[in-house]
Amino acid sequence: MGESTHFHRRASGYLFLLPYVVLFVLFLALPLAYGLGLSLFRWELVSPAPARFIGAGNYREALGDPYFWKALWATFRFVLLQVPITIVFALFTAVALDAVSARRQAFYRAACFLPGMISISVAGIVWRWFFNNEFGLFNAWLGAVGVKVPWISDPRLAMKSLAMMTLWWSFGGPTVIFLAGLKEIPRQLHDAAAIDGAGPVQRFRYITLPLLRPVFLFVVVMSTIGGFQMFGQAFMITRGGPEFSTRVLVQYIYETAFTHYRMGYGAAMSWMLFVVIAVFSLVQFRLIRERRRHEI
Amino acid sequence: MKSDPDRIPGGRAAAERTADTCALPGSRGRRIAAEAFLLFATLLALFPVVLIFLEAFKPDAEIVHFRGILPHRWTLENFLEVLGSPEEVPILRWFANSVFISSMVTLLVLVVDSLAAFALARLNLPGRRWMFAAIVATMMVPGQVLLVPVYLILNRLGWIDTPLALIVPAGAGAFGVFLLHQFFQSIPRELEDAAAIDGCSTLGIYWHVVLPLARPALATLGVFTFIGSWNAFLGPLVFMDSVDKYTLPVGVALFQTSYYAEYGYTLAASVICTLPVLVVFVLFSRQIIRGISLTGLKG
Repeated sequence: MGESTHFHRRASGYLFLLPYVVLFVLFLALPLAYGLGLSLFRWELVSPAPARFIGAGNYREALGDPYFWKALWATFRFVLLQVPITIVFALFTAVALDAVSARRQAFYRAACFLPGMISISVAGIVWRWFFNNEFGLFNAWLGAVGVKVPWISDPRLAMKSLAMMTLWWSFGGPTVIFLAGLKEIPRQLHDAAAIDGAGPVQRFRYITLPLLRPVFLFVVVMSTIGGFQMFGQAFMITRGGPEFSTRVLVQYIYETAFTHYRMGYGAAMSWMLFVVIAVFSLVQFRLIRERRRHEI
Repeated sequence: MKSDPDRIPGGRAAAERTADTCALPGSRGRRIAAEAFLLFATLLALFPVVLIFLEAFKPDAEIVHFRGILPHRWTLENFLEVLGSPEEVPILRWFANSVFISSMVTLLVLVVDSLAAFALARLNLPGRRWMFAAIVATMMVPGQVLLVPVYLILNRLGWIDTPLALIVPAGAGAFGVFLLHQFFQSIPRELEDAAAIDGCSTLGIYWHVVLPLARPALATLGVFTFIGSWNAFLGPLVFMDSVDKYTLPVGVALFQTSYYAEYGYTLAASVICTLPVLVVFVLFSRQIIRGISLTGLKG
């Protein structure tokens, strides 16, 4: 009898899992495998021709496709431009937040976090207006001193402008994580160092930074992964232009699959992006393990 | 005790610590410098948000020829115009779509994820360890990689251009299971044992013991999910075809492409799109910020 109750409990336990597992399989595990399979086929959704197996053909095509390389390079440029400034600014903000009274801290922290709550379509609309050559806010201000900056109409400048906009949009998350990390640092360390005559800069350099290292690396890797997935900013503000200078990989995949309906090629490029991101995720896993060792 | 709420930023300990730090010699100058920097960062962060709201009340001519942050002539024209052409710009319809979809996604995620997290964290199911590991590993999978295959699966199901396409797949995300799992683990086992001795079933323990104790974590996950769903962009852009099925952000974005020169209208539409998120943020900013801190530290 005890045996059967036990069995019953176990079966009902799996029932709790069932709804999630169904969704997980149908919309996460299956699409992941399906996408990989799809990438081995030539398949135009709108054409009557059936999908045709072409092996690594789509991957070979990508490697010989100048637009793919251009999009990959644009993506890397965005990551290289945006991630460092966002992280440095977030770190400064977090250190400043850590130094003010609890009530003011709550207000400032919420204010810094607010931009990330704005939908990318709204954020894009506003910044597209800021950056506009003729009617834009920035050039209206700069016009007062006789300067006109081609924020998003110069291919050399456009990606920098998007990185600047993204700094505004996304520095709140890293700030909040840094602040949480700063609060885990034992106060006694700072007190002891202060008694020994260490100034604030030295304490930051020799206590805060080393102890914050795991959180710091985590934020770096997460921001980098986020940067590789950039889409909305380019779609809303520059439309990938000028001269494809801001057409990132996700936008190219979007256009390939949903404007030209080339599903196989789109899936193949998605997997290539995934591999690039996975390399960074593996780095992150390694860092988390190092962090554990650090704590012991 | 991994998810002890007292270790969460903004907690009591943090407040005490901050007060103490301020007593350090030379900390006055440091605090002033910190305040100055924060004022700068806050201005930078809030300026575009405030501007959306102010510009929407300006006539077009004033937006294009910027003469100051405050409108010289306040006007409701932009709003009346945006709300006044429901055939071309069904903004109230988009609003209703967004409210419906985001609410259903939030409900689905809370129910499904809490059931799964409860089973994984509290029931001694064989295989739960590797199942949890597999689920958490997928948090690394970028959504964009799934876009093409999910589109084709939804197409096969006949769900493209229906709200189901935006609601059901959202329940597959691993974040909620991870978050609730960590929280459920911190609930003392004795409470469950006591309930079981009193004759409570597994479902009863889930409903009467674990869920009420997990209310803060559920609130965090709920707010997160709602805002994430409200702001989702790529999914609705790809999965919805008819104009009256769009969500608000996608409607506003595509509306901008046809009226891109008329900033007043697009900004009024932006205000309508942003207001609900602002209300949710003001009411629940503590839960949101706690969620972010948790993912960072316990990740």
